[in-house]
Amino acid sequence: MNPEPPPVGGPQPRVSGLNCPNCGGSITLRALGQASSVVCEGCGSILDAQDPKLQIIQTFHRIVSSDPPLIPLGTRGKIRGTDYEVIGFERRTITVDLVEYHWHEYILFNPYKGFRYLTEYQGHWNDISICKELPSMSSSFNISPRVNYLGESYQHFQSADANTDFVLGEFPWQVRVGERASVTDYVHPPRVLSGEKMAGEVTWSIGEYVPGRDVWKAFNLSGSPPPAIGVYENEPSPFSANLKAVWIGFAALAFGLLVMMIGFDLFAMNSSVFQGAYRFTSGYPRAEASFVTNTFELGGRPSNVEVTTSTDLQNNWIYLNYALINQDTGQAWDFGREVSFYSGYDSDGSWTEGSRNAAIVVPSVPPGQYYLRIEPEADTVQPPVTYTVEVRRDVPVSSFYGIGFLALLIPAILITWRSASFEKSRWSESDHPHSPIIAEGN
Amino acid sequence: MFRQIYMLYGLLILATVGYAQYNGWSLDTMNQLKNVPKSVRDNPGSYRSVYSGYHHYTGGK
Repeated sequence: MNPEPPPVGGPQPRVSGLNCPNCGGSITLRALGQASSVVCEGCGSILDAQDPKLQIIQTFHRIVSSDPPLIPLGTRGKIRGTDYEVIGFERRTITVDLVEYHWHEYILFNPYKGFRYLTEYQGHWNDISICKELPSMSSSFNISPRVNYLGESYQHFQSADANTDFVLGEFPWQVRVGERASVTDYVHPPRVLSGEKMAGEVTWSIGEYVPGRDVWKAFNLSGSPPPAIGVYENEPSPFSANLKAVWIGFAALAFGLLVMMIGFDLFAMNSSVFQGAYRFTSGYPRAEASFVTNTFELGGRPSNVEVTTSTDLQNNWIYLNYALINQDTGQAWDFGREVSFYSGYDSDGSWTEGSRNAAIVVPSVPPGQYYLRIEPEADTVQPPVTYTVEVRRDVPVSSFYGIGFLALLIPAILITWRSASFEKSRWSESDHPHSPIIAEGN
Repeated sequence: MFRQIYMLYGLLILATVGYAQYNGWSLDTMNQLKNVPKSVRDNPGSYRSVYSGYHHYTGGK
């Protein structure tokens, strides 16, 4: 694209019918007086639209008959509240690593607003207009060059030589098939800043990503737009807009979790309601090992009860069957805990395994008078085991905070990962595939 | 939209953690019984725990 600046306050729309001096086919000029060149739809000759005799600028063999414009010439639509008519179409190609990439450009015209452009690449559309002022190169150090335009910083995406290989309709410049321009794109999703250098002159244009369905709606086209393939250079990430907000939300919720933890720790009863010390000797003849403790009171609201066993084990184990029984209602919680502790010394040095203590938390125990039934088991050939049992009422359970923290963290990590994947896909098509992944447009 | 859903989800998590703490939930497994006879207090051996069949680890390194 190498257009003249759009005219301001252009003339009334004029449409004129002429004939091609090459093939005699009829030529319709939709932007009479504004277009510089027009292409004969019959033979493909490029004619000088400013010349009353439509002098031939170039003839070429039409090679892209199977690649018609998705928006037919003459279609009218509303872009940003202004009516435009599609008057021209061109196909351009860049070659990277011997692979050709094609995109299409549509020239839109409004006699009062001038020219505007739509580009399409694999279902990705951009609404493009000529820059009102020159972008400035960024002086700050970055891995890839940047330019500033209207207060926004654009990161270099790709530079390539573009070749025009098919044209149709009218153009505000003297278009040629085969003309080449050096194109440099800078992105700040959803915008793209493009500089086209041709014959020593650079033309800057600014584009904004438009979903295909919006284009179809604007031009009232039938059917549906072609599906967008892959991630385009200035396609806005559906994730990055949420990324910052989600992490701020995560920080706020994690802080709330911390406050809750401190609050419960401060206000939890966490009181010792029973303690007992015992000694167990296992052997034959085996007497009844089970016994019951004195009763103790569990007060307050229905809450948990922690039963902690502390032993003097050394290379030994003890298993304790517990039953916390409500003396009045007969309701019981039956549970068991093995406590084992082993230690020694080998070629790697000293080692230990297990623990001399164990705790278990009984959930949601109503207030009342309770006792414990304890039934110990131990190895018959091992020495006696001394152990203590402590019962605490309403203790904070830290594992819930850990689970809550993970539950908050996982969605934030997932959206960060998806955002990073999106940006990785975007930049993999650029000249900087290994650039730091930056979620632009936040 | 996602952030609103996330905040709603986060508040639900906080509410669940708070509810669990307040009501004394636990992650430990145990068996809850009703109507344990009062005779257990006088004859502890008459009660048998469902956990008494536990296989004990007698290892060490």
